[in-house]
Amino acid sequence: MCDQKKTDNKEEQQKDLAEAMQEKSSRRSFLKGLSIGAAAVSATLVTGCVPSADAATNEELRLRWQEYFKKNYRLMTQEEKDQTVSRLERLATLREGLEVQIGSEPPVKKVLYGYAFNITRCEGFMECVAACIKENNLDRKTNTQYIRIFEMEPGKLDPSEGDGKFFHEVPVENKFYMGTQCFHCENAPCTKACPTKATWREPDGIVVVDYDWCIGCRYCQAACPYFGRRFNWGKPEVPKEEVNVKQHYLGNRLRPKGKMEKCTFCIQRTRKGRLPACVEACPTGSRVFGNLLDPDSEIRYVLKHKKVFRMKEELGTEPKFWYFID
Amino acid sequence: MKKLPKLGAGSLAAGLLLLTLFFFDTKWSAASETSFLETVKGHDVQFDNRSVRQVLPVSQPTVLAKEEYQGGTFQVLARKQEIERYRCSSCHIVNGGKEVRGKNALTLTHGNVVVNHGQEGNALACIDCHHPEDRESLEDKKGRKIDFDHSYQLCGQCHFRQKRDWLGGAHGKRVANWAGDRVVYNCTTCHDPHSPRFAKRFPVIYSVPLK
Repeated sequence: MCDQKKTDNKEEQQKDLAEAMQEKSSRRSFLKGLSIGAAAVSATLVTGCVPSADAATNEELRLRWQEYFKKNYRLMTQEEKDQTVSRLERLATLREGLEVQIGSEPPVKKVLYGYAFNITRCEGFMECVAACIKENNLDRKTNTQYIRIFEMEPGKLDPSEGDGKFFHEVPVENKFYMGTQCFHCENAPCTKACPTKATWREPDGIVVVDYDWCIGCRYCQAACPYFGRRFNWGKPEVPKEEVNVKQHYLGNRLRPKGKMEKCTFCIQRTRKGRLPACVEACPTGSRVFGNLLDPDSEIRYVLKHKKVFRMKEELGTEPKFWYFID
Repeated sequence: MKKLPKLGAGSLAAGLLLLTLFFFDTKWSAASETSFLETVKGHDVQFDNRSVRQVLPVSQPTVLAKEEYQGGTFQVLARKQEIERYRCSSCHIVNGGKEVRGKNALTLTHGNVVVNHGQEGNALACIDCHHPEDRESLEDKKGRKIDFDHSYQLCGQCHFRQKRDWLGGAHGKRVANWAGDRVVYNCTTCHDPHSPRFAKRFPVIYSVPLK
């Protein structure tokens, strides 16, 4: 039975290869054929028996092979971006049975995103954290959270001195609440630490990660002075019915295992003019988000009229995340 | 006579040195003062918020605010459709008509309203905000009728700091979008006007310690 399949499969592969050779067109089509052969061979080695090489498996292997040879996102043309996006969408369907829509929207011109957090208003309800988990398809198994809320003693302004594990009725008298997340530094130390240039600052100020170029070395996590990055030790586990299918290549798409991830200011939303999920979920209006380059934006109003400060400003990282008081 | 030019040359050199020092000094101080914040504040070209495509239209009913934002108009979320027993004229006399009377009518119709607004011992009564005759409006301290959809005009009498922040965008928040036409939450979208402070409750989720 097994042998029969093996020979069948081999014949099929050879046919594919022959076809590819006959095309004589591009290196890509040759690789495509080669990939199927190579994948089949490796599968034989692993299992000792060739799996039933139906069309779906063949397609998945081909797509995965092509994914291995794609460029860094920053070097891709729009056409190549569209191709990888459609491959990833198809792979999600083949592997997880999900109909996802992965976007590759470019940054909006003349926009630099900025964020402000009102430490007088936040009452620690943690709606933002819950919304972030849902929006960004965060791992439910290890409880990955991009946002942390700290319960702070009056007079303290360093979250490391606060309580980040509180779970009791909030707000507590004479305490205040302070949220942290990735601050999207203008002069981001994490991007300089990356050996594969898999993380960078986009023109609209968002610091992003190309999950497929990340090798999981976690240098960036060590370089970040704000504990803004999260590492997934396993593939994020999200119940199928809870997956947010509106995704972005640099944002909330389902990450592979062993990648660095972090807040992206909900790139899949903000590049379409929408507010990040945390801002939309906040029941107290402590979170202000907007375009720093627009003198009429809310964030600029806060910077102009409120007492603002940033965390560890003396490091010169220039985070685009301000705390303010009423 | 021979010494003078030497002296002149000497002073010239010293002067030049001082001048260069001065320039260096100004350069340095300028470099340390221009922070990222200053650069941001230097941008004064308006951004066309309508240029962002794909902005989702706000699904909730809105009204045009009777205030200005940065010299332009903006919208607030409407309130009336949220009021359970609106229109009030179905029982109360508004502009003539028939009044509906009943035993324990107040308790039966408005018994769920708990007024917890104002300082202790000086709590607000119904007609501090509601119009004494026209039940379908509110009334401010100057006796002007105020529409339920524009309650910020009433709240702002006492909470003027909050109103100022709300008008600027530091209090409250926008609905759904950072771009597109500005739609903001009304005071009553978040606050129960009868009991405006948020109730204490448990957080919706907890955090696990970072390794």
